[in-house]
Amino acid sequence: MAHIAPEIFNGLILGAFYAVVAIGLSLIMNLTGTINMAHGSFMTLAGYLAFALVSAGTNYWFALAVAPILTLIVGVLMERTLIRPLYHRDPVYSLLLTFGLSLIAEETYRLIWGDNGVPFSPPVALQNAVSLGFTYFPAYRLFIAGALLVIIIALVFFLQRTRYGLRLRAAVQDHEMIAALGTNTQLLYMINFGLGILIAGVAGVLAAGMLGLNPQSGNALLMPAFVTVIVGGMGSIFGAVAGGMLIGLTISIVTLYIPAASEIAMYILMAVILLVRPRGLFGEEGIFG
Amino acid sequence: MRKRGGLIATAILLVLLLFVPQIAPRIHLAISVCTEVLLFAMAAMAVNLLIGYTGVLPFGNAAFFGLGAYGAGLTIEYWHAGFLSSIGLGVLASLIGALAIGPFLLRRRGIYFALLMIAFGQVFYFIAYRFTDITGGEDGMNFSRPAVEWLGWQLKDENFYYAMLAFFVVVGIVFYILVRSPFGRSLLAIKENETRARYLGLNTDRFIFIALLISAAIEGLAGACYGLSIMFAYPLMLDWHNSGNIVLMTILGGSGTILGPFLGALIFVIGNDILSTAVPWWQIPLGALFVVCVLGFPKGIVGTFLDLVERRRSGFSYEAREPEFQSTSLPKGETTP
Repeated sequence: MAHIAPEIFNGLILGAFYAVVAIGLSLIMNLTGTINMAHGSFMTLAGYLAFALVSAGTNYWFALAVAPILTLIVGVLMERTLIRPLYHRDPVYSLLLTFGLSLIAEETYRLIWGDNGVPFSPPVALQNAVSLGFTYFPAYRLFIAGALLVIIIALVFFLQRTRYGLRLRAAVQDHEMIAALGTNTQLLYMINFGLGILIAGVAGVLAAGMLGLNPQSGNALLMPAFVTVIVGGMGSIFGAVAGGMLIGLTISIVTLYIPAASEIAMYILMAVILLVRPRGLFGEEGIFG
Repeated sequence: MRKRGGLIATAILLVLLLFVPQIAPRIHLAISVCTEVLLFAMAAMAVNLLIGYTGVLPFGNAAFFGLGAYGAGLTIEYWHAGFLSSIGLGVLASLIGALAIGPFLLRRRGIYFALLMIAFGQVFYFIAYRFTDITGGEDGMNFSRPAVEWLGWQLKDENFYYAMLAFFVVVGIVFYILVRSPFGRSLLAIKENETRARYLGLNTDRFIFIALLISAAIEGLAGACYGLSIMFAYPLMLDWHNSGNIVLMTILGGSGTILGPFLGALIFVIGNDILSTAVPWWQIPLGALFVVCVLGFPKGIVGTFLDLVERRRSGFSYEAREPEFQSTSLPKGETTP
C-alpha cells in the first residue's frame, strides 16, 4: 500500500490536468464545433512565457498570473482573425487550421527556446515535501491539486451562476435563437474561446513545473484530454473531472506494473466505457452542468 | 462537357506519369519522391472517399496507413513473406484495425466521429511505440524488400515506380467505378443528408462502415507500398500528424473530386521534400500552407478551378460568391439522380 499511495496521488493530479484541458477543449467544441488541435500549443506557450518571465527576474507568482493572460491575448487574436470564419462550418476546416497553427507554434518554440526542454522549476517555497501522515508528498504537487480544483470550481460557478454562463449554455443549445433574442454571439464565442485558452494557460504553467517544458510538452497532454472528453461525456464538466481522474489513475497504476501498456490502458478503458455507455460516463451532448 | 474535360486531364496525367522516370532526373527530382507522391495520392484518395463522398472526417486515418506499413514490414521480418503477400498482409492488417475500431466510430457523427477517430487512431501509434521488442519502438524497424524477378527485370528504382504506378492506376479505376456505382451514390446521399437517406431505407451505418473498410484497405495498400518503398516502418507513420498531412492533401487538391487528392499529394510531397532540405524551420511554411488552404480556397485546387470555369460560362454564379462549405464541388446534376 505504501508504494501505491504516491502513485494514486500522482494519478489524481495527472487526471486533474487532463480534466482541465478536456474542459477547455469541450467548451470550444460544444459551442462552435471546433476541435482545437492547437490547445496543447497554447499550454506550451503559457509555460514558455512563464519561463521567460521568471528568467527575466520576476517572481514565480507574477509569472503564473501573467503568462496565462498573455496566452489568452494571443489566443483571442487567433480566434478573431483565423478561427472565427470557420465556425459552424464543416469541422475539417477548423481542425486543419488549428492543426496548422500547432505546427507553426511548435517550430517557433523550437527556434526561440531550443529543441530540448528548458528547466522550469517550481518556486523554492514549494520544493519541499509535505508529510501526509503515512507518506511524504512534494508540496508543489499538492499546490497543483489545489489550484486545479479552484479552477474547476470557479468555472462551474461561472457557467452555472452567472448571466454569461447562462447565455453560454443557452448558445450551446441554440446559437441562432440566442442571437435573435439579442445576445451578441460573436462576443460570446470570443469569451468562450478565451476561457478555454485561459484555463489551458494556467494548466500549462502548472504542468511545466511538474511534467517538464519542451516544444511538444503541451501536445503530450492533448491526446489524453481527447480521451477524457470521450470517456467523461462531451459537454459535461463533472464528466470531464470524473473521466480525467479515472484515466489519470489508470495510467499511473498501470505504469507501475506494466510500463509499456500505460497509454494503451487508457484506450482499453475508453473502449470499455464506450461499450457500456456510448455517450460517455455523464454524456449529455452540448449541455454544461 | 465537364466529363470530357476531366477525361482529357486524366489522360494527360497518365501519359506524364508514364514518363516520370525520364522527366524526373532532368528537373532534379529523385524517383523515390515520385513514388512517394503516388502512394500518398493513394492514401489521400482513401481519405477522399470518406470526406468527399461519405461526409465523415477520418482524422486518424494514418493508423490504417501505418498498419499497412507495419503489416508488410513485420510479415517480411518474421514470416519472410514475399513481395505481393507482404502487401496483402499489410492491407489485411489495416482492415483488421478498421474492423476493430469501426463499430465504436459508427455510433457518432460529425465532430464526435472525428474526435473518436483521433483518439482511437492513436492506439496503434502507442502500440508501435511501446512494444519495442517486436516493432523496434521509437526507432522504427528496417526490413528488406523481397526480391522479385519477373520476366527478367528486377523490382527496384524505375521498375518499382512502375509497379506502384500500376497499383495506383488500378486503385484509381476502382475508385472511379465505386463512386459512380449505386453504392457510391448512396454514400453521397448520406453525405448530403443522412437522416433523409435513412428514411429512404438505407442502412446508413452499414454503408459508412463499408466505406470505412474500403478506405482502410486502400490506405493500407498505400502504407504497405510506402513501407516497401523506403524499406522502413516507424511509429510517426501512425501518428495524428501524418493523418493531418493526408487530410490536408485531400482538401488542398479538392475533396469530392477524382483528381484533387492526387494534385494535393503532388504539391504537398514535393513541396515538403524541397522545403525540408532547404530550411530547418520547414514546419512553419508547412503550417502556413494549412492556414492558407483552409481560409483561402477551402474547395481545393480542383474545386476552385471548376468554380472559375462555371462562373466564366454562366457569367454569374451564386455559388462562386458564396462558397458552400458542407457539400463539395460535385455538379448539381450529378448529386441528385
